[in-house]
This record gives sequence, structure tokens and C-alpha cells, in this order.
Amino acid sequence: MTGDFLALLEKGPVVPVSAVGAGPTALQATTVFAFHCAEGVLIAGDHRATAGNIIFSDRTEKILELDSHSLMAIAGVPATAFEMARTLQTAFEFYRRSQLQPMTLPAKLRALSKLLRDNLPATLQGVGAVAPIFAGVESRQPEAKPLIFFYDPLGAQFEAAAFAGSGSGSGAIKSVLHYLENWGHPRPVELPLAEAVVLANRLLMTAAEFDSATGGVRPEEQEFATLKLLSRQGARTITRQEQTRFWKDSRRD
Amino acid sequence: MIEEPYRWLEAIANRREYIGERLKSGTPVFALSRPEGILLLGVGQGQSKVFEIYDRHAFGALGHPVDIEKIRQAAIEAAHLEGFARSARDVTLRRLISFSLSSTLKNAFEQVFAPPLIVEALFAELGDSPAQDSLVRVHYDGDHHYETSGVLAAHNEFQAEAEARDWIRSVLQPSDSLMHAAGICLVAWQALTGKTAFAGLTVPRKPVLQVPGKVVEAALLDRHAPGPVHYRALDLK
Repeated sequence: MTGDFLALLEKGPVVPVSAVGAGPTALQATTVFAFHCAEGVLIAGDHRATAGNIIFSDRTEKILELDSHSLMAIAGVPATAFEMARTLQTAFEFYRRSQLQPMTLPAKLRALSKLLRDNLPATLQGVGAVAPIFAGVESRQPEAKPLIFFYDPLGAQFEAAAFAGSGSGSGAIKSVLHYLENWGHPRPVELPLAEAVVLANRLLMTAAEFDSATGGVRPEEQEFATLKLLSRQGARTITRQEQTRFWKDSRRD
Repeated sequence: MIEEPYRWLEAIANRREYIGERLKSGTPVFALSRPEGILLLGVGQGQSKVFEIYDRHAFGALGHPVDIEKIRQAAIEAAHLEGFARSARDVTLRRLISFSLSSTLKNAFEQVFAPPLIVEALFAELGDSPAQDSLVRVHYDGDHHYETSGVLAAHNEFQAEAEARDWIRSVLQPSDSLMHAAGICLVAWQALTGKTAFAGLTVPRKPVLQVPGKVVEAALLDRHAPGPVHYRALDLK
């Protein structure tokens, strides 16, 4: 009666991948990032999944709601990442229902860290590495603000002061965000939602310019990034209609 | 003892008597299928009687708090394992009750050398419309039945429970608000616990939603909730 869903699963690691030696080229998914804006944390992802130089899909959803107060952005091998997200979704809800209280933010962070560590064999074999971003807010504390964390593929967890990025296209995005955070007027953390949404799409278009594994964002054709906002009230999706409106408004300025 | 059929039957009869005695202090819980969702209501003294089980599932019970907790945990574990292995839509009351909870209760009841589970329960599953909702009454011995009228009560006296169900059905209108429906349940609750007759019982125009000295607990499996989780506690104040 510990509320531990993983303990219910009978066999060892939740994401067992036991490939030995060189296997087929793994699917990968990039680019995701998150930054603080005036209304909370905006977390964004492109839509492209690649296998080597092959574009496998341009419609991949990489920003996943784990529960009403937690978001995960996945970069790396989708098969492993989606299974991790599904495990966490079930584990968080199982804990909340069985223990009659929500899991704390540190416990959620720890749960993701443990899954990454359990995935170590696949990571070392090069077929299942995942480097996610986690955004969460402590639902039990009325004054708590949403926070951003990023992980290395072995499970180490770091809190991001202003932004975090992961995936092959994240280098360009982190460079721009670093510049804006230090010398921008306004800084990303000061941007209202509409401007933050436009910035997120432009950042992904910039990354796609230099990274072939980033794509699927074409605002002129109403194909936008996956964007979710995490605020004190919880997580919500920024819809295509909202993004279209914000994008059009930005073009008028 | 179990080699002698008569003694086994006697042991079972004693067990029913014992459970009946222990359930006497329990108070009823209700589930109503409404256009807004499924309303669940119970009245306690600090301990919860209405619980969330899964995305579209809830549970209400009377009995020993430890036994209620055992059934609640068993239901939550079975539902989450099923939802994880397959999908949330594959979690159904029919499978949950028939293949998991009912047999657990029956086994516990018939193991005459072990303490029985002292619990009378109801389960609710939210559908896309009231006609697709499922309400199931589950007894301490694993016996269960599906209620198709949209009104279900669980109590320690089955005749009175049936009368309460019929009375609620007769006074409840589809257009009634959730608060009014909760008020009707509370009138029935007062009648069941006070052992007063339902004949001639009327519903006050302004529903009374409090019971002095007790905690009224209500929840809604909200048909129009935007996300996957439909359960939410209702504030009746």
C-alpha cells in the first residue's frame, strides 16, 4: 500500500531493451526546449522523428502531459521515451488515487530519474538513450511557481534557471535564449504568452535551418510547434487557433 | 469442520449474522446517473466514503474502514494495471467486478477461518451519455448486480435500500440540478438512518445539504471534463 505503481509491475525495469551489439539505426526525435515567460513555463517541441538521414515522421508529438501539473518533453529514442511517459502518467495518477494526495514535485523528479537509470543498458548500447526536459509545479503549495528541469541520459537531474533545451537542434536555440536572457529587451521571462508563443516557433524554425533532424514547423502553412503552458493553475495546450492568431498579430507589428 | 456440510453451512450463516451486525452502524451511500455525470454521495464522520478509482470510475461504500480500504486499493491496483497494459478505455466495471473484485470478496467470505470483509459497496462507471453509464451494487459476499435505472443506493438493510432507490427515482426529474439531486439523496439518507417510511416523504423546495455533526461528501464523475480524469469532489456549501 505504498502507492508505488512500479512495484506493481512484476518484472524489473519498466523499459527493458536488451539489444547486444550494433542494431538497426534507432529512431530519434528532436528538438525540445522550455523557458520561463510571464505566465509560467512555455515548453515546446518540433514534430520530426528521424532514423539516420531518413525523416521517419513530421507529425510526432513530443510534449506530453504526465498529469495536470507536470509536463515532459522528450528527446532521444521515441519508443523508450513514450514508454517512460506512459509509465509516469500511470504512476502519478496511481499514487494520487491510492494515497489520496498528489505526489510531490521532488518525488516526480526522482521517478523520472529512476526510469532513466533503469534504462542504462539500452543507453550504453546506443539504442535507447533519452534526454528529457521536465516542467512541474508543486500542486500542494499555493505560492509555488513552475520549474524547469533537464536530465542527462543516465538520470542526473538539473534545474534550469531560465531555460533548457534537448535534442540535436537545441544548441542553436539555447544560444539564442542565452543571448535574449542576458541582453534582450524584453527578456523571455518578461514576455506575455502571445509573444512567447511566437518566439518559440521562430526558435524552432531557426533550429531547423541548421539541423535536418528538426522540422515540421511551418507557421505560414499553419503548422506550428507543439506548445504547452504550465502555470500555477496547471498545464494547458496552446491550440493551433491560438498560435495562428498570435502569429498573425506578430506579422502586423 | 468443512468436511461436514451442515457445520460449514452453519458457519456461513453465523458469518452472515456477524457481518450484518457489524454493518448496522454503517450509513448509506448513493450514486445517481445525471446529464452532467454521475453523482456520488455519502455522509461520514471524518472518514471518506466516496472515492476515485480510475479516469471514469468511482466507488462508494459503508462498512469497516479497513475493509473499505482493502477493496479500494484492490480496485485501484486492478484498474491501473489494466489501463497501463492495455488502454484507459479497456478499464471497464464489468471486467473489474467480474474478474477481480467479486471473486476476491467471495473468497474472503467463504474462508470461514479468516476474518470476513465487512463492506457493502457500489461502483460507478461514466459513459458518454447517461444511458451508457454503469452502476453496480456489490455485496460483502461477492454477489453483485447491475442497476439500469440510473439510481443506486447501498445500505445495510436491503429492503429499505430498495425502497430508497424507488423513492429517489420517483421524485428525481431529469431537469433537476446537481444540488437538488444531492438534496434528494440527503432526504433519503435521513429516512434510512432514522428508519422512517418513504411513503409520503417530500423533498424541500430548497435542498438541505448539511447534516449537523457529520461530513457530507459528494463527488461527480464529470461527463464534460476536458481531460482524461473525470472525477472531482463537489463542494455542497
